[in-house]
Amino acid sequence: MSTAAPPQKAPPPRRRTGGRLSNGAFALLLTAPGLALFAAIIFYPLLSALFTGFFEQDLRLPGREFVGLDNFAYWLDGDLLAILEQTLVFTVGATLVPFVLGFALALALNTGLKGSGFLRGLFLFPWVIPGVVVSFLWMWIFNANYGVLNGVLMETGIIDESVAWLGRPGTAMLAVIVTKTWASFPWMMVMLLAGLQTVPKELHEAASMDGAGSVRRFFAVTWPQVRGVASIVLLLEFIWNFQHFDTIYVLTGGGPAGTTETFATAVYQTAFKGFDIGRATALGGLWMLLLLLLVAVYLRITERKGDA
Amino acid sequence: MTSTTSTPLSAAGRPQPSAARAGHRTRRRMRKDLLRSRIAAWSAVAVIGAFGLLPVYWLLATALSTPESTFQFPPKLIPTDLTLGNFTALAENDQLIKYMVNSLVVASVTAVLSVVVATYMGYSFSKFRYRGRRSLMHLVLASQMFPQALLLVTLYAVFSSFGMLNTYTALVLSFTTFTMPLCVWMLKGIFDTIPDALLEAAAIDGASRWRTLHSIVAPLAAPGMIAAGLFAFVRGWNDFIFALTLADKEKQTLPPGLVSTYIGEFQTAWPQLMAASLVVSVPVIVAFMFLQRYLVGGMTAGSVKS
Repeated sequence: MSTAAPPQKAPPPRRRTGGRLSNGAFALLLTAPGLALFAAIIFYPLLSALFTGFFEQDLRLPGREFVGLDNFAYWLDGDLLAILEQTLVFTVGATLVPFVLGFALALALNTGLKGSGFLRGLFLFPWVIPGVVVSFLWMWIFNANYGVLNGVLMETGIIDESVAWLGRPGTAMLAVIVTKTWASFPWMMVMLLAGLQTVPKELHEAASMDGAGSVRRFFAVTWPQVRGVASIVLLLEFIWNFQHFDTIYVLTGGGPAGTTETFATAVYQTAFKGFDIGRATALGGLWMLLLLLLVAVYLRITERKGDA
Repeated sequence: MTSTTSTPLSAAGRPQPSAARAGHRTRRRMRKDLLRSRIAAWSAVAVIGAFGLLPVYWLLATALSTPESTFQFPPKLIPTDLTLGNFTALAENDQLIKYMVNSLVVASVTAVLSVVVATYMGYSFSKFRYRGRRSLMHLVLASQMFPQALLLVTLYAVFSSFGMLNTYTALVLSFTTFTMPLCVWMLKGIFDTIPDALLEAAAIDGASRWRTLHSIVAPLAAPGMIAAGLFAFVRGWNDFIFALTLADKEKQTLPPGLVSTYIGEFQTAWPQLMAASLVVSVPVIVAFMFLQRYLVGGMTAGSVKS
């Protein structure tokens, strides 16, 4: 926050230099184009979606019929728990694993290895390339018949016969999480590295002088300094993964036998394959409720940081 | 960025007054500590690096292999019959070229629109204090977290009722809304670094608020604006779900276009798909190489320091 800004309650100093608007009105005018876009493309569709959940409506046909809570009941009596559980498994896995990898890498690069700037750039590659390319690449690596993963595992004797990683209920979710991990650990690394670089070196040296070992130094010096960045990064990634679509859709389409179905793929398939937007938006409404809780937590944390 | 990475070593190697006082034992322990931490660091880099980079190698290797050699098992880890045929095949595919043009148009317009809109909004958030400002800022921040798959369902209906499906406009508008939140926060962070005194001086010299923004602040913030535009371009270029749904073969961009072109019902043309994937990645990689520094700075300004 800019410290030079006048406190909110005091009347702002007027710069009456040609503008006829007050500063407040001018400031709001600046936000108008953005707000108009948000209203048209996010808030109106969102409200409309929450409303549509109470109707029976076909995506391809005009007109709809009020059905009350039928669409919600359909999910509550059906797949909701399985979808919730699978969404959580994916979200937790695809958040924690890249966090650990990214943090380890950030710590390593922060020790001043030779060429760490170059390495950091190189490691960004998986994060930089388009998500669809990530999915294609891992689809090919996991390929049951010609995939390199099966090839390497069989050559080394770890498995006896090819595994259809993406086609088996037991391994499909694992494969999806590995793919998403690959795509997001570099971002975690960059953010955490930025946080680590704000830790004054003198603190480490002083702690070392006082006889603290590396583990002790990590928890006493490093962690308190990067905790803020770490919590934001974790929470953001958690929220993004909670609504992630691309990787799962391309790799498994929610299959096999619905074992990688998450809120995102289920809403999408119900609307655009089943053409049932009533049911799709009903599930979406439940999904939104959960997400709003997460977002509220996120805002609380950023708020605290902003005031600090 | 790179300059800061080598400091701990040189700092430890330099004779320091505090270290001199600490005596031999401490210094020996510190040196052992340093060695141990360097071994740990290199091991982490090697293991995670293998996970990060071996798939990239496989992407390259497959893209340069002939179709025949790709369909053998176990796969040859070091391809012997290298070919550029997969890349030349791309250039002859008119439909792919159409997707590419669509991608360029949509991503570029998205970038420009995002930066213009986000500049005004970010400036407003950074340099003015007014009622409702914090709520607006939070609204913008939170809007990037609404589930896209859900929005898409009703957005599809909206665009459909306005006859806007299969238009660049529909794609640009929806992309822009999702690129803006981060652009706004990135640019707010940049504007925060521009001293208020500069704006006051401009006002005293008689510059209007518009003029101050356009001819004094914007040039100073140009690097940040380029970074934000780059970010928006990349998001637009990479988007899958909106382009997949809101447009068909005529206006679709490359990511969904590749799925419909290559993911076959029976046999996927893997070497060609990998070659196409590399081509799709090139503009993004080039953009990042040039602007990595700004992007990392902007990202941390936008989402860490907030």
